[in-house]
Amino acid sequence: MAKDKNINQLVDHLFRHESGKMIAVLSRLLGLQNIEAAQDIVQDTLLQAMSTWSYKAVPDNPSAWLYRVAKNKAIDFLRKEKRFRDISPQYSYLLESEYTLASTVNNLFLENEIQDSQLRMMFACCHPAIAEESQIALTLKTLCGLSVNEIAKAFLTTEETIAKRIYRAKEKIKAEKIELDVPQSSELSARVDTVLKSLYLLFNEGYKSSTADELIREDLCEEAMRLCFILTQHSLTAFPRSKALLALMCFQASRLDARLDDKNNIILLKHQDRRKWNRSLMSKGFELMEESAEPFEVSTYHLEAAIASQHAAARSFEQTNWRSIYHLYEMLYQLQPNPIVAMNKAIVSAYAINRQNALDELQQIKGLENHYLYYASIGEIYFELQNKAEAKKFYQKALEFTSSGPDQQLLISKINSCQVV
Amino acid sequence: MEKFMFIFEGTQPGNLSPALMQEHMGKWMAWIDKLRKANQYVAGEPLLPGGKLVSGPKGKSVTDGPYTEGKEVVGGFFIINAKDIDEAVELSKGCPDLDQGSKVQVRQVMKIGVEQPA
Repeated sequence: MAKDKNINQLVDHLFRHESGKMIAVLSRLLGLQNIEAAQDIVQDTLLQAMSTWSYKAVPDNPSAWLYRVAKNKAIDFLRKEKRFRDISPQYSYLLESEYTLASTVNNLFLENEIQDSQLRMMFACCHPAIAEESQIALTLKTLCGLSVNEIAKAFLTTEETIAKRIYRAKEKIKAEKIELDVPQSSELSARVDTVLKSLYLLFNEGYKSSTADELIREDLCEEAMRLCFILTQHSLTAFPRSKALLALMCFQASRLDARLDDKNNIILLKHQDRRKWNRSLMSKGFELMEESAEPFEVSTYHLEAAIASQHAAARSFEQTNWRSIYHLYEMLYQLQPNPIVAMNKAIVSAYAINRQNALDELQQIKGLENHYLYYASIGEIYFELQNKAEAKKFYQKALEFTSSGPDQQLLISKINSCQVV
Repeated sequence: MEKFMFIFEGTQPGNLSPALMQEHMGKWMAWIDKLRKANQYVAGEPLLPGGKLVSGPKGKSVTDGPYTEGKEVVGGFFIINAKDIDEAVELSKGCPDLDQGSKVQVRQVMKIGVEQPA
């Protein structure tokens, strides 16, 4: 049966996204310490929408419908709960009087205030007092409307682990009395960096192809991009590096569809069908790169975006400007001298300089002894140097260090191709 | 054509994630749409939980309720057209909540003739 109009009328992820928006707004209204009450109100609102819309039809403006119901529930809650001292001090005096109660609630549901609330929520979820893994879990739960179960699936871990991370984050919010404030100008820059880092990790978590459940992974990428977009839209947080990070995400996301074959096997950049790269994401990436150039600053996101843009601009793997990419990696290594960057730099040198140079650089790296990609890369260089015996040895070594299905698949096929001597 | 009432018993699970709620709603919409396109859907309403129970002579007793087992709470109803009870039962099997342990009561609406009995 053809898909129904009425169903298509609802945007993908509407409930999830609206859940995130409403939790942010209501937490701002009730105070972040009352985030659980905010979550309950949102859950009730969505349940009511689910039963009403199922029987009737989706209203013309579904979001407005949800906000109206959520507002009424919030007002009921405030009238019932007379505990205004716990409620965010900024609003408590407005909420105590019936004259200003409804209009205060209404105002917070205006479009620009919703954006603002989401931004504040990002700062709270990515508060430096909260551990990185908890920051990401809390962001997904509150801002992206994912359940503990869904987050656990995306991170290939148990619900218990995720629930613990969220619990710890909430304990921190209580202990540090974190509220939904915009950081003061003196600390704004550092706070934005924490948010960017968290979004970067979130995106990478989605981009790593280490699970069969591809859909939920792409959701993570999409969420990271959506939140990063909010940062670029707000005058306080639209730093060049915020735009550079979004540019990087656009370039990476443009290759999502080309990265796996029908059987979920990984296709390496070299073999990807470049016609499958998403053009509109790529041009968005170039546009953002340009915007990120001013005022001048060089962040790791700038360099990574520049590297990704070189790949996007190349007609083929062979026609890639490897020298320029190598140079960018050298700069990146100066900002971020870690073995992963060193490894990537070494791999690129195989094409920018020569394969022997790549081998030399790789063999100097320390700290990747448990990293399958390290061994796989050495194997790959030997393979290209026609040294199949050495290649096979390193592919096998790599296999010991990965538990991901698609990665193992790829390595096994590599090992098999070494057999043909 | 006869009219039948579907009475949906069983509360919706309250802990669904937003994504699952939206998915669930999509299933209901698809089901109603299918009935509507076949001219079998007449009307339907969801019911809010809670309510009052009125009993006793002249409604002396008014209590909160029904607070029976969550599973028996009526969540809503449909009126549909069907040839006979068998067809109505077949149609009711499309209810997406059955998978979650809910039940559908299928009842025939009594036809009241306008003509006087002879």
